[in-house]
Amino acid sequence: MNLRILASTMLVQMKHSFARPVFKLCMLIAPVADTILLYYMFRHSGRADFGMYVVLGAGLTSLWETILFSSMGDINRERYNGTLSLLFGMPTRFPLILLGKIIGNTILSFATLIISYITAYVLFGITLTVNSAGLLAAALLLAGVSFVVVSQFTAYALTLSRKTVVYMNCLNFPIFLLCGFAFPIEILPAWALPISYALPPTWAVRMLRMCFAATIEPALFGQYALILIGELVLFALLARLLFIVIDRQVRIHATLEVF
Amino acid sequence: MIEIRRFFQQAFLYYKEQYIHFSFAEILSFKMALPVFILLYYCMAARYGFNSPPLTRWVVGNSFLLCTYQCLFALGHTFSSERFNGRLRTLIVAPHHKLAVSLEKSFFYIFEGLVTSAFGLLCGSLIFGISFAGVDMLLFVTVLVSGMIAAMGFGLFLSAFGLVSDSMHLILNVVYSAMLILCGANFPIADLPAPAQVLSYMLPLTRSIEGANMLFGTVDGARLLSLLAQELGVGAIYAILGYITLKICEKVAIRRATFEMF
Repeated sequence: MNLRILASTMLVQMKHSFARPVFKLCMLIAPVADTILLYYMFRHSGRADFGMYVVLGAGLTSLWETILFSSMGDINRERYNGTLSLLFGMPTRFPLILLGKIIGNTILSFATLIISYITAYVLFGITLTVNSAGLLAAALLLAGVSFVVVSQFTAYALTLSRKTVVYMNCLNFPIFLLCGFAFPIEILPAWALPISYALPPTWAVRMLRMCFAATIEPALFGQYALILIGELVLFALLARLLFIVIDRQVRIHATLEVF
Repeated sequence: MIEIRRFFQQAFLYYKEQYIHFSFAEILSFKMALPVFILLYYCMAARYGFNSPPLTRWVVGNSFLLCTYQCLFALGHTFSSERFNGRLRTLIVAPHHKLAVSLEKSFFYIFEGLVTSAFGLLCGSLIFGISFAGVDMLLFVTVLVSGMIAAMGFGLFLSAFGLVSDSMHLILNVVYSAMLILCGANFPIADLPAPAQVLSYMLPLTRSIEGANMLFGTVDGARLLSLLAQELGVGAIYAILGYITLKICEKVAIRRATFEMF
């Protein structure tokens, strides 16, 4: 039953999201623009693997942007349309509906990586070699799960707020920067590194990069995967706790329709 | 006299309306912390991509681009926000000139844009150790203001499309992405293909960024003056185009009568 609700929410969400011009912008136009920008910024680096940084950097920034502006924005849209309170009062639990929405958006958002690669290949002749298709599939799956879990956590945190637009705008660039989407986090100041390490997408990005690197170290890949899974469990637990608090606050304040 | 007072009153009300439901901490994080993160992101990308160069040109260029949040997005959404709130129909039949509405809505954002860019520049300079010693600050402020004026003209031009389009968010974001690539803030314009370079010089901020960067090195007085004049010219052209487009879009909007559709 739950799976059917999850699947149907995902499907409806994907259709709704793709109908929105801003979603199309984030998914179709942003990866093209970001690829062009990063190519011109990285082409002088002299690194043999700069193409990978261009493709993954542009793809991942657009991916996060798409998930963020759709999943967080959905809370705002439901509030504006007066349906957020209905979602909360339905027999189906709110976290399940939200999860369906976020998974739907995340699946669609992965197109940004493909668009970024096509742009880099067509415009600049960049090609990427995959070391291991199996490990890449694992890295993509874990990256997807990490984005879903972080989005779910953030969406809960923003459920009570009437200023979702402001907060989701504020979450965009710090994540680009701290998770090292476009460049290795090692160039960040030392004090910022613990924050980077605490964010699950950081490890997902490292695993993805490893799949396109000249050589792959399966042991290191496994180590990153374990850290990532550990952090995901922690984030999921925190999200669960956060929802209990938010759920209680929602019922006390009863302001879900206040815009 | 009454009209002038009303202009300022209306401008203040529009501006206050945008922030009234935010706390001071929220305003601070959105208007100050976010621009700093944007600046940091592009500067760090440049550090990686250009192998740790002195980051002066990226700090300057991206600080200038920070004003686009006010000049482009705030001004560009003049009419689309009215559409969203269902007030566009009332606004279109009001005797008030639509250009005045745009100017009223954007007036305080000019100052906010200046403050944001200056703050970005200050933070970028402190973080990346950029020295302003030897930079003529009066000239620098002149270049910054000329860039803002040109960007405001451009924003005014784009805002007119909000009367006929329900996709201003899409339009403004595409324009912003184009400016990131074409304005010379993140890599030299000379790297771009020739047709893209032509586009670069059709956009605001390209010349002011070049001028501001020149102030950190050898200043060619004639070239700087020419850049400033051209930048103001670009702003004036966009402002005139904005006026014409506003008139055309107003007529199209009345003919279509789709003010409440989005």
